[in-house]
Amino acid sequence: MAKKDMTELVQSGLDRAVELMAVAAHNSFRFRNRNTIKMVTLGKEEMEEIAEFCYSLGDMSPLAARDGRFVMELIKEPCALMVVGDNRKSDFGYNCGACGYRTCAELNKAEEVESLTARGPSCQFKNINLNIAVNAAASIAWRLGLHCRVFGTLAFAALALNLIEEVDIVSSVSVSVANVDPYFDRHKFWTKEYWDEIFEKEFPTFSRGFIGAVEE
Amino acid sequence: MSMERSMRQFEDDRKEAVRIASLLLLASGTTSPRVGGVGECTIHTIDDECDIEDLCQQIEGMADEDKGWKFFKRDAAILRDADAILIITSLRSLTDPADINCNMCGKLTCEYLRESERLPKGPGIAFTGPLCIFRANNIAFALDGIISQARNLGIDYGVFWSAGAAAMRMEIVPRDTGFALGVGISVTEKSPFRDIPLRYGEINQRTMNDRIIQRLWPQFRSIYS
Repeated sequence: MAKKDMTELVQSGLDRAVELMAVAAHNSFRFRNRNTIKMVTLGKEEMEEIAEFCYSLGDMSPLAARDGRFVMELIKEPCALMVVGDNRKSDFGYNCGACGYRTCAELNKAEEVESLTARGPSCQFKNINLNIAVNAAASIAWRLGLHCRVFGTLAFAALALNLIEEVDIVSSVSVSVANVDPYFDRHKFWTKEYWDEIFEKEFPTFSRGFIGAVEE
Repeated sequence: MSMERSMRQFEDDRKEAVRIASLLLLASGTTSPRVGGVGECTIHTIDDECDIEDLCQQIEGMADEDKGWKFFKRDAAILRDADAILIITSLRSLTDPADINCNMCGKLTCEYLRESERLPKGPGIAFTGPLCIFRANNIAFALDGIISQARNLGIDYGVFWSAGAAAMRMEIVPRDTGFALGVGISVTEKSPFRDIPLRYGEINQRTMNDRIIQRLWPQFRSIYS
């Protein structure tokens, strides 16, 4: 057997793992046994595009900017992003009312509202099928020992950049083979000043002496 | 140990296994991810035969409310064979939008969703939308947590949104529930959730038993004796 070094092994293992995640997402449980999801996997170049886009949303969404900074760090080590999407219209005929319309036909006829994040209004069961697929992919990634996290922000960016097409609602799973799990305790992506400012604004009573007292 | 006794023991142990499995499924569903990391879903187990029957009667009662709900009768017939039903609820989707302006509900901002008129409770309405879809998506994670655990444990399962809608109609779930789904589980040699014949709502083991054994056989016996 030919010798393979660690970098090559890890990268090919990651590629294989992402394929298995795609299979799990494709075959996940879904209502009405209809799989209409679409998915793509993105590499580092596209993820860099996503990071820049997220970062550019800084004024509108600090969370997106945080995730943009985070992805710039993430792509320094082997990683991949799986974006899963679906159409918003209902083909179930459940007439359940969760979308706010009495029947599926009314939902399908309703005026489409565009935004950067999704095109609505969308069918609740379509969303559930989509997110079950996402969770199934994440669950396989977890079982294979990859670091993983489900991201709404990165998926929204992928949709806005047309990296995934012919879909209205999206979600994504980011996986990584970094040395340290990059997805949790991401303190370094907030500056201390910003964190202190927001904390003080949101929880002003936390540092007060007693109820009603105002620090001068 | 006599044959009778060991059969009874099997039946008792089987029921105990259902109870333990339903709690493990609840654990897996509870620890599955939540968007925003905010507590949102509750999971309720129904393992009493009479409670399951009540729920099935409610599901059957709703079948004629909408032409899209004809399959509720079949669902009720299947769920009568289930050993336990887990109801997953979404508590924030109705009253507490996620404030991220995601537009999945078709309202550009969460403020518009708060202001929009909800469908009235009543016949033909299962869920009083529009709901915060971003919040309600947590139900998908909880559901897949339950399903993947059921597969790991080798427990037969079936997912029925009719059970969630009926549980909401019966008001046996928390008051602010906006969306609910049901998962039936079974520890039996034949999964009641697979191989469902046509017209299962009318023709199933229970109705066959009633029609053929309880009705035709006594009549046959009284005539031909």
